[in-house]
Amino acid sequence: MSGAGINQSEVFERVLRPHMERLYRLAFRLTRNKSEAEDLFQDVLTKTFGQLDDLLTVRDAGSWLNRVLYNRFIDNKRRYARQRLVTVAEANLPQQSIEALAGNSDPVRDIERLENIMRLKSALDLLSDEHRTVILLHDTEGYKLSEIQKLTGDPIGTIKSRLHRARARLRELLQESGTFSGS
Amino acid sequence: MDCKTVNDTLDDYIDGALSTADTSTVSEHITHCGDCRSIVNAARKLQDLLKAYGDTDVPTATAAFYDSALLNASRNGTRAQHRYLWLKGFGSAVAAGMALWIVSGLFFKTPEVPAAAIPVVTLALEEAHTINLVFSSSIDLVDATLTVILPTGIEIAGFEGQRKISWETSLTAGRNVLPLRLIATSPQGGEILATLRHGDDDRSFRLQVKVI
Repeated sequence: MSGAGINQSEVFERVLRPHMERLYRLAFRLTRNKSEAEDLFQDVLTKTFGQLDDLLTVRDAGSWLNRVLYNRFIDNKRRYARQRLVTVAEANLPQQSIEALAGNSDPVRDIERLENIMRLKSALDLLSDEHRTVILLHDTEGYKLSEIQKLTGDPIGTIKSRLHRARARLRELLQESGTFSGS
Repeated sequence: MDCKTVNDTLDDYIDGALSTADTSTVSEHITHCGDCRSIVNAARKLQDLLKAYGDTDVPTATAAFYDSALLNASRNGTRAQHRYLWLKGFGSAVAAGMALWIVSGLFFKTPEVPAAAIPVVTLALEEAHTINLVFSSSIDLVDATLTVILPTGIEIAGFEGQRKISWETSLTAGRNVLPLRLIATSPQGGEILATLRHGDDDRSFRLQVKVI
Protein backbone atom coordinates (compact mmCIF):
# COMPACT_ATOMS: atom_id res chain seq x y z
CA MET A 1 0.00 0.00 0.00
CA SER A 2 2.76 2.44 0.80
CA GLY A 3 4.65 4.00 -2.01
CA ALA A 4 5.03 7.10 -4.08
CA GLY A 5 1.81 8.45 -5.65
CA ILE A 6 -0.66 6.52 -3.45
CA ASN A 7 -2.53 8.76 -1.05
CA GLN A 8 -3.28 6.57 1.93
CA SER A 9 -5.58 9.14 3.48
CA GLU A 10 -7.83 9.18 0.42
CA VAL A 11 -7.98 5.40 0.24
CA PHE A 12 -8.70 5.23 3.97
CA GLU A 13 -11.55 7.70 3.68
CA ARG A 14 -13.07 5.87 0.70
CA VAL A 15 -13.06 2.59 2.58
CA LEU A 16 -14.31 4.01 5.89
CA ARG A 17 -17.05 6.44 4.82
CA PRO A 18 -19.80 3.87 4.08
CA HIS A 19 -19.37 2.33 7.53
CA MET A 20 -18.82 5.33 9.74
CA GLU A 21 -22.36 6.02 10.83
CA ARG A 22 -23.03 2.41 11.81
CA LEU A 23 -19.66 2.27 13.57
CA TYR A 24 -20.45 5.42 15.52
CA ARG A 25 -23.84 4.07 16.54
CA LEU A 26 -22.19 0.90 17.77
CA ALA A 27 -19.71 2.96 19.79
CA PHE A 28 -22.60 4.82 21.39
CA ARG A 29 -24.59 1.69 22.08
CA LEU A 30 -21.64 0.13 23.83
CA THR A 31 -20.44 3.15 25.82
CA ARG A 32 -23.88 4.82 26.29
CA ASN A 33 -22.06 8.11 26.55
CA LYS A 34 -21.48 10.65 23.77
CA SER A 35 -17.96 11.75 24.66
CA GLU A 36 -16.80 8.19 25.34
CA ALA A 37 -18.36 7.06 22.08
CA GLU A 38 -16.47 9.80 20.22
CA ASP A 39 -13.21 8.83 21.94
CA LEU A 40 -13.72 5.16 21.16
CA PHE A 41 -14.64 5.93 17.57
CA GLN A 42 -11.56 8.13 17.09
CA ASP A 43 -9.33 5.55 18.76
CA VAL A 44 -10.55 2.83 16.41
CA LEU A 45 -10.14 4.98 13.31
CA THR A 46 -6.56 5.81 14.30
CA LYS A 47 -5.79 2.16 14.96
CA THR A 48 -7.42 1.14 11.70
CA PHE A 49 -5.36 3.62 9.67
CA GLY A 50 -2.27 1.78 10.84
CA GLN A 51 -3.85 -1.49 9.66
CA LEU A 52 -5.07 -0.21 6.31
CA ASP A 53 -3.36 -3.00 4.41
CA ASP A 54 -5.30 -5.58 6.45
CA LEU A 55 -8.57 -3.71 6.02
CA LEU A 56 -8.20 -3.69 2.26
CA THR A 57 -7.93 -7.47 2.13
CA VAL A 58 -11.00 -8.38 4.22
CA ARG A 59 -14.23 -9.30 2.47
CA ASP A 60 -16.60 -7.60 4.91
CA ALA A 61 -15.04 -4.31 6.00
CA GLY A 62 -18.08 -3.32 8.08
CA SER A 63 -17.95 -6.45 10.23
CA TRP A 64 -14.19 -6.17 10.54
CA LEU A 65 -14.43 -2.59 11.76
CA ASN A 66 -17.23 -3.44 14.17
CA ARG A 67 -15.14 -6.24 15.58
CA VAL A 68 -12.13 -3.95 16.10
CA LEU A 69 -14.35 -1.44 17.88
CA TYR A 70 -16.03 -4.04 20.04
CA ASN A 71 -12.68 -5.54 21.10
CA ARG A 72 -11.31 -2.09 21.88
CA PHE A 73 -14.39 -1.36 23.98
CA ILE A 74 -13.90 -4.59 25.95
CA ASP A 75 -10.18 -3.83 26.49
CA ASN A 76 -10.98 -0.34 27.74
CA LYS A 77 -13.73 -1.64 30.01
CA ARG A 78 -11.31 -4.03 31.64
CA ARG A 79 -8.88 -1.20 32.25
CA TYR A 80 -11.31 1.45 33.41
CA ALA A 81 -13.90 0.17 35.87
CA ARG A 82 -15.28 3.67 36.36
CA GLN A 83 -16.92 3.59 32.93
CA ARG A 84 -20.22 2.21 34.15
CA LEU A 85 -20.62 5.01 36.69
CA VAL A 86 -20.17 7.61 33.97
CA THR A 87 -22.83 6.08 31.74
CA VAL A 88 -25.39 5.80 34.53
CA ALA A 89 -24.84 9.42 35.58
CA GLU A 90 -25.59 10.64 32.07
CA ALA A 91 -28.74 8.58 31.50
CA ASN A 92 -31.01 11.49 30.56
CA LEU A 93 -32.71 12.02 27.25
CA PRO A 94 -31.05 14.85 25.32
CA GLN A 95 -33.20 17.87 24.56
CA GLN A 96 -33.19 17.23 20.82
CA SER A 97 -34.92 13.88 21.36
CA ILE A 98 -37.88 15.61 22.96
CA GLU A 99 -38.09 17.91 19.96
CA ALA A 100 -37.92 14.92 17.62
CA LEU A 101 -41.06 13.44 19.20
CA ALA A 102 -42.98 16.73 19.23
CA GLY A 103 -43.99 16.39 15.57
CA ASN A 104 -46.87 14.06 16.50
CA SER A 105 -50.22 15.81 16.66
CA ASP A 106 -51.18 14.14 19.94
CA PRO A 107 -49.09 15.77 22.70
CA VAL A 108 -50.53 13.54 25.44
CA ARG A 109 -49.51 10.43 23.56
CA ASP A 110 -46.10 11.98 22.88
CA ILE A 111 -45.53 12.52 26.58
CA GLU A 112 -46.64 9.00 27.42
CA ARG A 113 -44.32 7.61 24.77
CA LEU A 114 -41.46 9.69 26.08
CA GLU A 115 -42.10 8.49 29.62
CA ASN A 116 -42.12 4.87 28.42
CA ILE A 117 -38.80 5.38 26.68
CA MET A 118 -37.33 6.89 29.83
CA ARG A 119 -38.55 3.89 31.82
CA LEU A 120 -37.04 1.62 29.20
CA LYS A 121 -33.73 3.44 29.56
CA SER A 122 -33.81 2.96 33.34
CA ALA A 123 -34.66 -0.72 32.88
CA LEU A 124 -31.79 -1.16 30.43
CA ASP A 125 -29.43 0.25 33.06
CA LEU A 126 -30.40 -2.62 35.33
CA LEU A 127 -29.44 -5.32 32.85
CA SER A 128 -25.99 -6.89 32.81
CA ASP A 129 -23.60 -5.51 30.19
CA GLU A 130 -23.88 -8.67 28.08
CA HIS A 131 -27.69 -8.65 28.13
CA ARG A 132 -27.93 -4.96 27.42
CA THR A 133 -25.43 -5.16 24.56
CA VAL A 134 -27.19 -8.04 22.82
CA ILE A 135 -30.68 -6.56 23.11
CA LEU A 136 -29.60 -3.13 21.92
CA LEU A 137 -27.66 -4.52 19.00
CA HIS A 138 -30.42 -6.94 17.94
CA ASP A 139 -33.68 -5.18 18.76
CA THR A 140 -32.61 -1.54 18.56
CA GLU A 141 -29.85 -1.48 15.96
CA GLY A 142 -31.15 -4.38 13.86
CA TYR A 143 -28.04 -6.56 13.93
CA LYS A 144 -28.69 -10.16 12.91
CA LEU A 145 -27.66 -12.91 15.30
CA SER A 146 -24.87 -13.91 12.89
CA GLU A 147 -23.54 -10.33 12.91
CA ILE A 148 -23.51 -10.27 16.70
CA GLN A 149 -21.73 -13.62 16.64
CA LYS A 150 -19.02 -12.17 14.36
CA LEU A 151 -18.70 -9.18 16.65
CA THR A 152 -18.45 -10.90 19.99
CA GLY A 153 -17.11 -14.30 19.01
CA ASP A 154 -19.78 -15.94 21.21
CA PRO A 155 -21.75 -18.96 19.92
CA ILE A 156 -25.15 -18.23 18.36
CA GLY A 157 -26.86 -20.35 21.02
CA THR A 158 -25.35 -18.20 23.78
CA ILE A 159 -26.42 -15.02 22.03
CA LYS A 160 -29.99 -16.30 21.56
CA SER A 161 -30.16 -17.33 25.17
CA ARG A 162 -28.92 -13.90 26.34
CA LEU A 163 -31.45 -12.19 24.09
CA HIS A 164 -34.28 -14.31 25.44
CA ARG A 165 -33.30 -13.58 29.06
CA ALA A 166 -32.77 -9.89 28.37
CA ARG A 167 -36.21 -9.53 26.80
CA ALA A 168 -37.87 -11.45 29.62
CA ARG A 169 -36.12 -9.35 32.24
CA LEU A 170 -37.02 -6.08 30.50
CA ARG A 171 -40.68 -7.11 30.25
CA GLU A 172 -40.64 -7.92 33.96
CA LEU A 173 -39.08 -4.54 34.84
CA LEU A 174 -41.43 -2.60 32.61
CA GLN A 175 -44.43 -4.36 34.07
CA GLU A 176 -43.24 -3.44 37.56
CA SER A 177 -42.93 0.19 36.47
CA GLY A 178 -46.43 0.16 35.02
CA THR A 179 -45.35 0.48 31.39
CA PHE A 180 -46.89 -2.88 30.56
CA SER A 181 -50.06 -4.17 32.12
CA GLY A 182 -51.12 -7.80 32.53
CA SER A 183 -49.08 -10.95 33.21
CA MET B 1 -50.06 -26.03 21.26
CA ASP B 2 -49.81 -25.38 25.00
CA CYS B 3 -48.85 -22.22 26.87
CA LYS B 4 -45.36 -23.50 27.71
CA THR B 5 -44.56 -24.07 24.05
CA VAL B 6 -45.84 -20.59 23.21
CA ASN B 7 -43.58 -19.15 25.88
CA ASP B 8 -40.59 -21.18 24.64
CA THR B 9 -41.07 -20.03 21.05
CA LEU B 10 -42.06 -16.47 21.89
CA ASP B 11 -38.82 -14.87 20.64
CA ASP B 12 -38.88 -16.72 17.35
CA TYR B 13 -42.56 -15.87 16.91
CA ILE B 14 -41.93 -12.15 17.50
CA ASP B 15 -38.86 -12.20 15.23
CA GLY B 16 -40.73 -13.99 12.43
CA ALA B 17 -38.35 -16.93 12.64
CA LEU B 18 -40.95 -19.69 13.04
CA SER B 19 -42.22 -21.81 10.17
CA THR B 20 -45.52 -20.81 8.62
CA ALA B 21 -47.25 -23.76 10.29
CA ASP B 22 -45.87 -22.98 13.75
CA THR B 23 -46.68 -19.30 13.36
CA SER B 24 -50.30 -20.17 12.58
CA THR B 25 -50.46 -22.49 15.58
CA VAL B 26 -49.20 -19.80 17.95
CA SER B 27 -51.55 -17.21 16.45
CA GLU B 28 -54.44 -19.61 16.85
CA HIS B 29 -53.49 -20.31 20.48
CA ILE B 30 -53.32 -16.66 21.52
CA THR B 31 -56.72 -16.04 19.97
CA HIS B 32 -58.16 -18.22 22.72
CA CYS B 33 -55.66 -17.75 25.55
CA GLY B 34 -55.78 -14.39 27.30
CA ASP B 35 -52.61 -14.96 29.34
CA CYS B 36 -50.50 -15.84 26.33
CA ARG B 37 -52.06 -12.99 24.36
CA SER B 38 -50.94 -10.56 27.10
CA ILE B 39 -47.41 -11.94 27.01
CA VAL B 40 -47.22 -11.67 23.22
CA ASN B 41 -48.62 -8.13 23.31
CA ALA B 42 -46.07 -7.13 25.95
CA ALA B 43 -43.29 -8.67 23.83
CA ARG B 44 -44.47 -6.72 20.76
CA LYS B 45 -44.74 -3.51 22.76
CA LEU B 46 -41.21 -4.02 24.01
CA GLN B 47 -39.97 -4.43 20.42
CA ASP B 48 -41.72 -1.20 19.43
CA LEU B 49 -40.22 0.63 22.39
CA LEU B 50 -36.74 -0.66 21.64
CA LYS B 51 -37.01 0.49 18.01
CA ALA B 52 -38.33 3.90 19.11
CA TYR B 53 -35.47 4.13 21.60
CA GLY B 54 -33.07 3.60 18.72
CA ASP B 55 -34.62 6.48 16.80
CA THR B 56 -34.40 8.96 19.65
CA ASP B 57 -31.40 8.08 21.71
CA VAL B 58 -28.24 8.19 19.63
CA PRO B 59 -26.79 11.70 19.37
CA THR B 60 -26.14 12.77 15.81
CA ALA B 61 -22.53 12.83 14.80
CA THR B 62 -22.01 15.76 12.47
CA ALA B 63 -20.22 15.70 9.14
CA ALA B 64 -17.55 17.91 10.75
CA PHE B 65 -16.98 15.28 13.42
CA TYR B 66 -16.52 12.53 10.84
CA ASP B 67 -14.19 14.70 8.75
CA SER B 68 -12.13 15.58 11.80
CA ALA B 69 -11.99 11.94 12.93
CA LEU B 70 -10.67 10.84 9.53
CA LEU B 71 -8.06 13.60 9.49
CA ASN B 72 -6.87 12.81 13.01
CA ALA B 73 -6.71 9.12 12.17
CA SER B 74 -4.51 9.64 9.13
CA ARG B 75 -2.33 12.10 11.03
CA ASN B 76 -1.88 10.03 14.19
CA GLY B 77 -2.11 6.70 12.43
CA THR B 78 0.79 7.72 10.19
CA ARG B 79 2.83 8.58 13.26
CA ALA B 80 2.07 5.19 14.73
CA GLN B 81 3.24 3.55 11.50
CA HIS B 82 6.47 5.45 11.11
CA ARG B 83 7.22 6.13 14.76
CA TYR B 84 9.78 8.85 14.08
CA LEU B 85 9.40 12.56 14.59
CA TRP B 86 11.66 14.99 12.81
CA LEU B 87 13.23 17.43 15.18
CA LYS B 88 13.39 20.97 13.90
CA GLY B 89 16.96 21.74 12.82
CA PHE B 90 18.18 18.14 13.10
CA GLY B 91 18.91 16.82 9.66
CA SER B 92 19.80 13.16 10.14
CA ALA B 93 18.12 10.51 8.03
CA VAL B 94 16.00 7.93 9.80
CA ALA B 95 18.04 4.79 10.21
CA ALA B 96 17.62 1.48 11.93
CA GLY B 97 18.94 1.54 15.44
CA MET B 98 18.37 0.45 18.96
CA ALA B 99 15.37 1.86 20.77
CA LEU B 100 17.08 2.89 23.93
CA TRP B 101 14.94 3.97 26.78
CA ILE B 102 11.44 5.19 27.37
CA VAL B 103 10.22 7.75 29.84
CA SER B 104 6.48 7.63 30.53
CA GLY B 105 4.05 9.79 32.40
CA LEU B 106 3.57 13.48 32.91
CA PHE B 107 6.40 15.89 32.30
CA PHE B 108 7.51 17.26 35.62
CA LYS B 109 10.68 17.94 37.67
CA THR B 110 12.14 14.66 38.78
CA PRO B 111 15.39 13.47 40.25
CA GLU B 112 17.78 12.10 37.67
CA VAL B 113 17.86 8.42 36.92
CA PRO B 114 19.92 6.59 39.55
CA ALA B 115 23.31 5.26 38.39
CA ALA B 116 22.20 1.64 38.59
CA ALA B 117 19.48 2.28 36.00
CA ILE B 118 21.64 4.10 33.42
CA PRO B 119 21.55 2.20 30.13
CA VAL B 120 24.76 1.26 28.38
CA VAL B 121 25.53 1.13 24.67
CA THR B 122 28.66 -0.19 23.01
CA LEU B 123 30.23 1.45 19.98
CA ALA B 124 32.99 0.21 17.76
CA LEU B 125 35.85 2.73 17.46
CA GLU B 126 35.52 5.05 14.43
CA GLU B 127 32.28 3.37 13.26
CA ALA B 128 29.04 5.34 13.22
CA HIS B 129 26.05 3.80 15.01
CA THR B 130 22.55 5.20 15.32
CA ILE B 131 20.99 5.13 18.75
CA ASN B 132 17.31 6.09 19.08
CA LEU B 133 16.34 8.06 22.13
CA VAL B 134 12.63 7.60 22.76
CA PHE B 135 10.78 10.24 24.73
CA SER B 136 7.24 9.43 25.75
CA SER B 137 4.94 12.13 26.95
CA SER B 138 1.30 11.98 27.92
CA ILE B 139 0.77 15.55 26.65
CA ASP B 140 1.97 17.72 23.76
CA LEU B 141 5.04 19.77 24.68
CA VAL B 142 5.44 22.78 22.42
CA ASP B 143 8.70 24.74 22.28
CA ALA B 144 10.84 22.42 24.33
CA THR B 145 14.65 22.50 24.24
CA LEU B 146 16.66 19.34 23.97
CA THR B 147 20.37 19.56 24.89
CA VAL B 148 22.85 16.76 24.47
CA ILE B 149 26.25 16.96 26.19
CA LEU B 150 28.84 14.51 24.92
CA PRO B 151 31.94 13.16 26.64
CA THR B 152 35.35 13.67 25.05
CA GLY B 153 35.86 11.17 22.24
CA ILE B 154 32.19 10.80 21.31
CA GLU B 155 30.64 12.89 18.52
CA ILE B 156 27.34 13.19 16.72
CA ALA B 157 27.61 12.87 12.94
CA GLY B 158 27.16 16.28 11.38
CA PHE B 159 28.24 18.07 14.56
CA GLU B 160 31.92 17.17 14.58
CA GLY B 161 33.98 18.88 17.27
CA GLN B 162 30.90 19.98 19.24
CA ARG B 163 30.35 18.64 22.74
CA LYS B 164 27.14 20.48 23.56
CA ILE B 165 24.31 20.59 21.02
CA SER B 166 20.82 22.04 21.56
CA TRP B 167 17.63 21.88 19.49
CA GLU B 168 14.36 23.77 19.79
CA THR B 169 11.65 21.22 19.23
CA SER B 170 8.11 20.16 20.08
CA LEU B 171 6.98 16.78 21.31
CA THR B 172 3.59 15.30 20.68
CA ALA B 173 1.70 13.15 23.14
CA GLY B 174 2.98 9.63 22.67
CA ARG B 175 6.36 8.41 21.56
CA ASN B 176 8.89 10.80 20.02
CA VAL B 177 12.10 9.40 18.67
CA LEU B 178 15.40 11.24 18.37
CA PRO B 179 17.90 9.24 16.32
CA LEU B 180 21.50 10.08 17.26
CA ARG B 181 24.24 8.96 14.89
CA LEU B 182 27.20 8.54 17.24
CA ILE B 183 30.84 8.07 16.39
CA ALA B 184 33.50 7.11 18.94
CA THR B 185 36.76 8.88 18.02
CA SER B 186 38.67 7.53 21.02
CA PRO B 187 38.45 4.32 23.08
CA GLN B 188 37.76 6.10 26.34
CA GLY B 189 33.94 6.20 26.19
CA GLY B 190 31.95 8.13 28.78
CA GLU B 191 28.52 9.38 29.68
CA ILE B 192 26.12 11.25 27.42
CA LEU B 193 23.72 13.62 29.19
CA ALA B 194 20.46 14.53 27.38
CA THR B 195 18.28 17.20 29.00
CA LEU B 196 14.76 18.05 27.90
CA ARG B 197 13.60 21.43 29.13
CA HIS B 198 10.06 22.81 28.85
CA GLY B 199 9.23 26.05 30.61
CA ASP B 200 10.48 25.72 34.17
CA ASP B 201 10.59 21.94 34.06
CA ASP B 202 13.42 19.79 32.91
CA ARG B 203 14.33 16.16 32.88
CA SER B 204 17.75 14.65 32.29
CA PHE B 205 18.66 11.25 30.96
CA ARG B 206 22.06 9.58 31.04
CA LEU B 207 23.53 7.08 28.64
CA GLN B 208 26.79 5.25 29.28
CA VAL B 209 28.91 4.66 26.16
CA LYS B 210 31.53 1.94 26.01
CA VAL B 211 33.95 1.74 23.09
CA ILE B 212 35.47 -1.47 21.78
